Amino acid sequence: MTARLLEGSEAIAEAMIGAGCRFFAGYPMTPFTEVLEHMARLLPGVDGVCMNAESELEAIGMAWGAAATGTPAATGSTGQGLSLMQESLAEITLARLPLVVLNMARAQGDYFQATRGGGHGDYRHIVLAPIDVPEAVELVSLAFDLTFRWRNPVLVFGDYYLAHTAQSVDFRPPARADHDLGWALDGRSGGSGQAKLVSPLGGFKRKDQSGYNLATHYASCAAATAEMVAGVTPLADVGFIDHAEVVVVAFGTPGRYVRAAVRALRADGVPVGYVRPVTLFPFPSEAVARACEGARRVAVYENNQGQMIDDVRLAVLGRSPVDFIGGLSLDSSGFGIAPDLDVQVLRARIEEVFTK
Amino acid sequence: MAEQNGGGSVLTKKEFVSDQEVRWCPGCGDYAILSAVQGMMPDVVDKRENMVFISGIGCSSRFPYYMNTYGMHSIHGRAPAIATGLATARPDLTVWVITGDGDGLSIGGNHLIHAMRRNVNLVILLFNNQIYGLTKGQYSPTSEIGKVTKSTPFGSLDRPFNPVALALGAEATFVARSLDVDRQHLTSVLKAAAAHRGTSFVEIYQNCNIFNDGAFDLVAGKEHKTENQIRLEHEKPIRFGANNEKGIRLSGRASVEIVDVEQAGEENLIVHDVHREDPALAFMLAHIATGPTMPTPIGIFRDVDRPVYGEEMERQLSVAREKLGVGSVEKLLTSGDTWEVA
Repeated sequence: MTARLLEGSEAIAEAMIGAGCRFFAGYPMTPFTEVLEHMARLLPGVDGVCMNAESELEAIGMAWGAAATGTPAATGSTGQGLSLMQESLAEITLARLPLVVLNMARAQGDYFQATRGGGHGDYRHIVLAPIDVPEAVELVSLAFDLTFRWRNPVLVFGDYYLAHTAQSVDFRPPARADHDLGWALDGRSGGSGQAKLVSPLGGFKRKDQSGYNLATHYASCAAATAEMVAGVTPLADVGFIDHAEVVVVAFGTPGRYVRAAVRALRADGVPVGYVRPVTLFPFPSEAVARACEGARRVAVYENNQGQMIDDVRLAVLGRSPVDFIGGLSLDSSGFGIAPDLDVQVLRARIEEVFTK
Repeated sequence: MAEQNGGGSVLTKKEFVSDQEVRWCPGCGDYAILSAVQGMMPDVVDKRENMVFISGIGCSSRFPYYMNTYGMHSIHGRAPAIATGLATARPDLTVWVITGDGDGLSIGGNHLIHAMRRNVNLVILLFNNQIYGLTKGQYSPTSEIGKVTKSTPFGSLDRPFNPVALALGAEATFVARSLDVDRQHLTSVLKAAAAHRGTSFVEIYQNCNIFNDGAFDLVAGKEHKTENQIRLEHEKPIRFGANNEKGIRLSGRASVEIVDVEQAGEENLIVHDVHREDPALAFMLAHIATGPTMPTPIGIFRDVDRPVYGEEMERQLSVAREKLGVGSVEKLLTSGDTWEVA
């Protein structure tokens, strides 16, 4: 292993470039800003383009244009910026374009935004939630693979800790699959008389005057979404579940603290287990259900008022009670530093579940 | 304007100072602008509760916290839209927008031009420091070409906005420029902006001593201000320089030029007229400098009368009431065919 000590935003930028990303656009916003700055510094060296846009509305538009040419493209922001991008994200999905989108979120209040989507129409996004910098490097690579395989945007859901914590990272060259780019507006069909169209309203130009057939287009998008949802392998990290009476579910950065608290409790002989969804969509319902099978109670920790808990309840389907042991925790900056992310605090909350 | 508040006591600057700790970097140009605005507020409103400051996101947008008036700290770029709604719904209130070059010209550019086009009764102060300060130093739409920042490590490529020219192009009825460091000039411009009916747009050169220190030194600094400040004064020939030896005249090629007054003759200089209907000359004056590094006009470029949006809206409503009569909710809800459902 050739380890390098890198801050998350820099590691993510390098991972994107390693995965083939050659276009990036963004707008400054804490804690996303440094990803933009690293991409601005690194992309020209690999013949790529980075643009500091006028707003997140422009950033996603620029990325959309680049993506339509088949160029591996990415954009990102922090939750508020992602809110601005939702209209374009919905339409990009209906235009069936590959795009990687980062949310360096402030805490975890954007779970619904990420997994349900804040835009219009019948679409879904694959959502990956890394626990730390090394896993972010792997998932960024996976994100580019998935986005081209399914021609569907993939979200990487991080936070302040992921962007601003330095960890040792081992970069391995990502296995790059060849994806069919027959749809891309890359000039390859020039002169062939076969005009291509990339549009959220239809996949080809009609010869008659009736214009787009939206019924056909939306139906084909829905079929592609269904195929993707069935085809993507949900990922989960499961630990300490042997004879666990209580299983704790958490995702992203809080997963690190929950895992440490569970490990400490196990060392003291407390029968507690742990599950961490890595893909938030498709949600690893089966893995969660299996891990919680013998548990008396299930507990969910999230740094929000309780959003993923809905998906956990759907996975457990009433077989055990599901308690919420999280809650929004922010310091005065509001950027996502959580006073509650402390192993002692989490231990106490998990022990409380055992008294029920 | 009245100087008495409801209780009959005279408001002073200190009544407009809030109890909030001011959280800008030490040495920021925003402090001087805040103090100037607080100082001239007693000339603007007679009751603090009739005054609203609306901001977006950015360093300048912390402004409403520090004014002891009503205020809104809103979302990035949207202050002009929010202010349009507020000023139209409550034409009795005095509404000021505080924005910056990022908030107002980047993400909020669209909202800004339409507020000015509508001539909503607003004062818009755009603090221009040619940089993103709050996110720690990325280039802005007013940064000079070639600006090296963390998001443009090889230099920016895009031509900057000239905020005064932009406002003139968007049909703003009052357009001015002033400096954070010149309290007297800033106060006089702010008073004129407050007195104007419709949208008053004021660009204020503001030094960001952390991320873009000295950006306006050649115009605002003591050493160069006499040679580089072209002070626009209504009904006066445009002259500047240490001994007022330079002036501006029409060049005859649909542009303006800087000339030596002695050679050109004072009678050939442009006599500044803020009330000129055609904005073309003001636009030319805005372009005499490509950036704040050469002789640059400050002061009021344009101050003309146009119908104010809120007043036009009020007029339209009263015409509608006259034509259609006063509405009745009950009548509306039982209008057209109705059915009794058993």
